[in-house]
Amino acid sequence: MSSALSIKGVVKKFGNHVAVDDISFEVPRGVVYGILGPNGAGKSTTLRMINDIIAPDRGEIKILGDMAPGVVAAQKMGYLPEERGLYPKMKVGEIIEFMGELRGLKRAEAKKRGAAWMERLGLTKWMGNKVQDLSKGMQQKVQFATALLHEPEVLILDEPWSGLDPINAEVLREIVGEIRESGRTVLFSTHQMEQAEKIVDALCIIARGKLVASGTLRELKAASSAAGWIALGFAEGGREKADAVLADAALISDRRESEEDDHDIEVTAPDSQRLLTALIGAGVALRKFEVITPSLHQIFVERVGPEAAVAEREEPAA
Amino acid sequence: MSMRNTWVIARRELLERVKSKWFVAITLLGPIFMVALVVVPAIISAKSTSGARMDIVDQTGVLGEPLAKKLHDDYDWIVNVVPKDTPDQTELDKIRDDKINGFLTIPAGAVVFSNVLYRGDNAASQYVGAYLQKAMTEVVFDARADLVKLTREQRAAMLGDVNVVPMHTTGEAEGSSGLGSFLIAYILAFILYMVITLYGVNVMRSVVQEKTSRVMEFLVAVVKPQSLMSGKILGVGGAALIQLTVWLGIGAITLAYRTEILGAFGIDSGQSPLPPLDFFAVTITLVYFILGYFFYSAMYAAVGAMVSSEQDTQQVQMPVTMLLVIGVMCFQLIASSPRGGAASVMTMVPFWSPMLMPMRFVLGGATLGDVALSLGILLVSTILVVRAAAKIYRVGVLLYGKRPSVRELVRWLRY
Repeated sequence: MSSALSIKGVVKKFGNHVAVDDISFEVPRGVVYGILGPNGAGKSTTLRMINDIIAPDRGEIKILGDMAPGVVAAQKMGYLPEERGLYPKMKVGEIIEFMGELRGLKRAEAKKRGAAWMERLGLTKWMGNKVQDLSKGMQQKVQFATALLHEPEVLILDEPWSGLDPINAEVLREIVGEIRESGRTVLFSTHQMEQAEKIVDALCIIARGKLVASGTLRELKAASSAAGWIALGFAEGGREKADAVLADAALISDRRESEEDDHDIEVTAPDSQRLLTALIGAGVALRKFEVITPSLHQIFVERVGPEAAVAEREEPAA
Repeated sequence: MSMRNTWVIARRELLERVKSKWFVAITLLGPIFMVALVVVPAIISAKSTSGARMDIVDQTGVLGEPLAKKLHDDYDWIVNVVPKDTPDQTELDKIRDDKINGFLTIPAGAVVFSNVLYRGDNAASQYVGAYLQKAMTEVVFDARADLVKLTREQRAAMLGDVNVVPMHTTGEAEGSSGLGSFLIAYILAFILYMVITLYGVNVMRSVVQEKTSRVMEFLVAVVKPQSLMSGKILGVGGAALIQLTVWLGIGAITLAYRTEILGAFGIDSGQSPLPPLDFFAVTITLVYFILGYFFYSAMYAAVGAMVSSEQDTQQVQMPVTMLLVIGVMCFQLIASSPRGGAASVMTMVPFWSPMLMPMRFVLGGATLGDVALSLGILLVSTILVVRAAAKIYRVGVLLYGKRPSVRELVRWLRY
């Protein structure tokens, strides 16, 4: 089956500033895909091009096979923009109907589905209230509903966690999970790695407009420089015995002292099972023996560089 | 699909406005205001001066008493003739203490050379002046007739009424009162100006609000900015058209039954004949409104797209508003010479034709050919303006912060 999204060689400039610089990636169907990057990396610009809000200067974007971004594709897509807003004076029920209609639903159908979503999000009794009477958190739920109402094949969320309280973050995770289960696709952008790691299947990392990495979470973890290392922690007096075992070059290929508090050294071993057997056989008092899995945050810092991860560059105004 | 979205947007804009209490209030109260425009001046003219209190300082000894009687009989004034040596200051003090409204000083030579002075708190009323003029003229003429010893018949033959009645006509339709025609034409032009400005600015404000509330982000992902703009203009325009139609309808009915309406207030409408507002004039007004509204609201929409906050709109909308105001300043020009060269030119220029042409037409200054040409020019210009506005709008709605320079605007237009 064709991919949900295919981005090929896309370039977007604002004046002299290159916001998106020759980016390509594929989002398979039925996955949760993250675009990760520091602020100002070009994430929102990329999402806006996919939504046909702005046109790329070069390159090609294909949606669900061969659709170009535009009005037709928009009926298959849901979008939660980074800057979120609703008509403050409109009633909640009305705005949901309105957005549903714009996404191609019949008014009655939009009304029915809107009611179902409000029920699920616990907002039923607010249907007749004006948006401005709702708390920020409730408004966000309404915004989710407007993006989801028409059951989009591709759901695009731009910085979905920004300004979201933990409870709503949990609701969002649940919804994203359901969409994946139903075989539909979610594409989101964020700079919050902890949140992303909980839901992402595959991802790409963008920094300064350029693609620096892409692949499944598993692939990126395997490719990380932290991957393959084993953390060893010893109980009282275990260190001397261990050093004797580790002197055997057949057991480990590399070693280094740990900078972490919870273990002593890190090693790479051609066969971790053999290493563990040897250590236990030698009577080493082990406190910790763990194959290190790099966190998404580590991968991100590794790929982007620590300075890029904290750099708060302004998103260009467009 | 995008056509459908345009309608969805238009319906939302229309309902949002039509459902508001303000819209209902203004739509219904507007005609009451219009009826008041016809009725109130009549009431004022009939009633306002009755019961006015006045002193007469008469140095001739012959004019004071008959004048007092005449003012009392004709206009219900309460008039006292005071001694002829009463100092001005005494009378002025009486005005200050609100014992009288004013006093008339008739100098000794008034019968021959009638120059009298009225001082009073109601002297600014044109009716006070007119009534005094009329009554004074009659008593002075009576005195002069006595002076030359005219008989009653001779006097009547000399002093019978002379009436000049200005009837408005351009040789085609039935004539109507000059003042009345002007009034109707003026009100039409003014309503057009008001509704175009009101709803044009409304379009602008609603674009700015969509930007500041960031709803725009949601909308542009689903709807092309062009559909968004046309939907908004159509929806707001629908509300404006409903309002205008109600107003014109009630206005036309009011004019058609003005005698009965005025009669209900106990006023004879005889002295202020207004021409009827015929169906054709109403139709032309509506057509000009629709095109004029599109013409201006597209410009206002582009202005709204160019700015990021309500405060910014003040400056940027200035050129557009100025164009409309120039039109208002030309009302008098059209009215005084509806067939003149200036009127012919102004009613062809699309900036002003929406307001001025209906006025000129009602005044009989324009042939149907003129109207057709003017409408043609307006139609073509409106299409061009809407296209240009859509281009500015398309880029502008996505911009926040800095306002675009003129050079940037030109670049947007070339996209």
